This record gives sequence, structure tokens and C-alpha cells, in this order.
Amino acid sequence: MQVSTDVRDNGVVVSASGSIDHSSAAAFEEAAVPAVKLAVDAAGLLVVDLSDVDYMSSVGLRVLMLLAKAGKVDTVAVVISGLQPALQEIFQISHFDKIFKIYGSTEEALASGAA
Amino acid sequence: MKIRFWGTRGSLPTAMTADTLKSKMLQVMEQTNGKDLSTPEAREAALDALPFSVKGTYGGASSCVEIDRGEGGFIVCDMGSGLREFGLDAMRRIATEDRQTAYSFFISHVHWDHICGFPFFIPAFNPASELRVHGGHDVEAALLRQQDVPSFPVPLHFMQSKKEFTQTPMDTPISIDDYTVTVRKQHHHGDSFGYRFEIDGKVIVYTTDAEHKLEDEEQLDAHVEFMRDADLVVFDTMYSMADAISIKEDWGHSSNIVAVDLCHRADVKHLVMFHHEPVYDDAMILKNHEETIRYEELLRPGSIALQITCAYDGLEIDL
Repeated sequence: MQVSTDVRDNGVVVSASGSIDHSSAAAFEEAAVPAVKLAVDAAGLLVVDLSDVDYMSSVGLRVLMLLAKAGKVDTVAVVISGLQPALQEIFQISHFDKIFKIYGSTEEALASGAA
Repeated sequence: MKIRFWGTRGSLPTAMTADTLKSKMLQVMEQTNGKDLSTPEAREAALDALPFSVKGTYGGASSCVEIDRGEGGFIVCDMGSGLREFGLDAMRRIATEDRQTAYSFFISHVHWDHICGFPFFIPAFNPASELRVHGGHDVEAALLRQQDVPSFPVPLHFMQSKKEFTQTPMDTPISIDDYTVTVRKQHHHGDSFGYRFEIDGKVIVYTTDAEHKLEDEEQLDAHVEFMRDADLVVFDTMYSMADAISIKEDWGHSSNIVAVDLCHRADVKHLVMFHHEPVYDDAMILKNHEETIRYEELLRPGSIALQITCAYDGLEIDL
């Protein structure tokens, strides 16, 4: 599992790849949580790009919930982009599709945040 | 060996309303319209083809699960409202199958929904009955309190069975009625306790009313080991994952997603979804079951499927 953070004009993009399960969730958390503060500093939204994530178990979902809660405290919108079909199903089954705004692509997400 | 589910609802016994029953009957009429209903066999076949949420119901009795080897006394987890039906059936089996009037109870905790069946447990009024109650809490005090005036007209001491209450040690396997039983303290308001039963080469784990903090790796790992290689795990799947870690965080319950993940890690063979949310109707519980099966498919670490059953009142599982 790899995670990168990219500061853009309209916000911050955290991009993950691979599988996020009990063996990789801690690394995902360590890399993703600081991005909330970066988004505060950038006065933009935080986009979590999951287009290269093939699956995510409960511990990965928990990290997303941490981001949502931190975003709520810091009034930063945390959104998701690029879900593969399997991950779309996991979001629907876990009801995370009711927690997050989900966009087809990162560019679409950033554009919505700028609007 | 059979595992019998006498009560499977969480938090509060939940009765079906007349409107709900009428809705089910309308669905049966709609979905069997045009089918062959000319004989009893054809009618039964037409009913059998319908979704369980239409032709049946998950029921509304609160937690009570029996582990039955078909001989000797009885092993029962929790005393929810399902205990009343169990008591009547146990008396039938004592009368017809030469069973012993001995009952070993294992109590997850003493919240009302897990003890409310006891005042209606008829065998407890029989002086010949021997009740041994195991739990991590002071269950005797809870039962005394539950039946004290003015809450209930019949005090505990009026139930003339022999009663023995034992606070079980944690994490150390103990022998009870030929079973090796391991007890594990769980995260729940006022604590709850899970039980791992080993008997005849089989492992059954009863783990309900437990919230699993996903940030606590040590506790997660310990619970995985508690369930390790179980043939059957009865697991609290009350909430959705999103609810369990947001608006219902610290309410003391778990989700279908966490259940599957922990069962995968523990190489469990069969997961039984249990402690259903009282506001869920049958269609919602069925949907939850189907989605859990799909999640298991998506996250399956190898080629062997985890069998997933959604418990309902009256369910029997052969082990």
C-alpha cells in the first residue's frame, strides 16, 4: 500500500494505492491524517483519491471516519474520489456512502470544492 | 450437536404488528400469483421459493442460545425473552427424551434484554431443577433486583429450583459439564463477557454485546485468538459499520463488516449474525445478511468461503 499527498490550488489530495487492511491501515492513517491540517492551511477541501485501491477492510474504513471527524472539527470538507466497483460496494454495504460525498474523479471533486 | 436460537433480537423484545403481518400476506399473494397452488405440496413449494423476509420472520425474542449435545443437561447462553420458549421445550425433552433437569447458563452481561426471560423460565419453579449460572457479573444480584417489588410480583426465592451462581475467571480455560470454556471480557457499558466452548472436537464462540475498537490492535488481536479456528461464531452485528463508529460509537455493539473481518483473520468456518437492531424489519435484516455475504466475497483472503447465517428465532444449526 502506498500513500502520497499533493497540495493543489483548491485543496489537498491524498492518493492511496493497493489494499488497505489490518496490515496496512496504520501506515494509511499515519500518512493521511496530517493532510487534514494541510487542507486547513490551504483553505481548501481534502480529497481522498482511492482510484488505485482494490479493497479496504474495516480498519481502513475507520481511518476514513477519522478524517471525516477531523474535517468536521476543522471545518474542512473531506470527500472521496475514484472508487473502483468493489470499493463502491464496500462503501454501500458499510453505509460509508452516507457519510462521504463521492466523486468519479479527483478533478471533479476539486472542482466541486471550488464552486 | 445442535445450536438452537431461542432469541436473536438486540436490546428489546420486538413483536410483529398487524400491519406488518398484513404486508407480508399481501406480498405472498402478489409473489405467488399465477403459481401452481393446487396441492398442499405445490403450495408449500411456492412458499419455500419466497424470500425469508416474506415467508417468515427473524423474530423478536431477545438473546437466548442453546448448545445441545442431545443428552444430559442443558447449556444456555443468556436469559433473554427467548428463554421462556426454551424452558417449555426443555420440559418437553425432559419428559420425552430422558434428559436431566440440570441447566448451565452462561451470561454475557446483566442488561435487561439478556436476563428478562428468567422470571418466565418455568423449570426454575421446579424444586428438582438444578441451575448453575456462570457469568462475569454478580448475576444473582441482578436477578434478585429484577424480581424485587415493585418491579415483579414473584421474588427470586419463590422459584424453588436449586441455584448456584459462579463468577467465572477470565481468559483461563475451565472445565464445565465436559466443555472446556474460556471467558473473555468485552467492551460494553458495564462490561460484557464472551464464551468459547470446546467440546467433541468442535469450537463454538458466543460473543455478543461487544464493541471492537479498531484502533486497539492489542484487543483486536486478542479477540481474533479468542475466536481462532472456531467452527461457529455467534457475533453481535447490530449496526452498520458507519453507525458503529460514528453516531453509535460507544453504544457497545459491532457491525457485520467487523464480524467478517475478524472471522477471516481467525479462520472461522461459520459466522452467525446475531443481536438484530430492534428497529430493523425483516426486509432490512435480510438485506443486511445478503450484503454481508457479498462483503465476505469481496474481502475473502483465500479460496475458502466463510459461511454466513443470519440468526432467527427458532433457527437450528447442526454442527
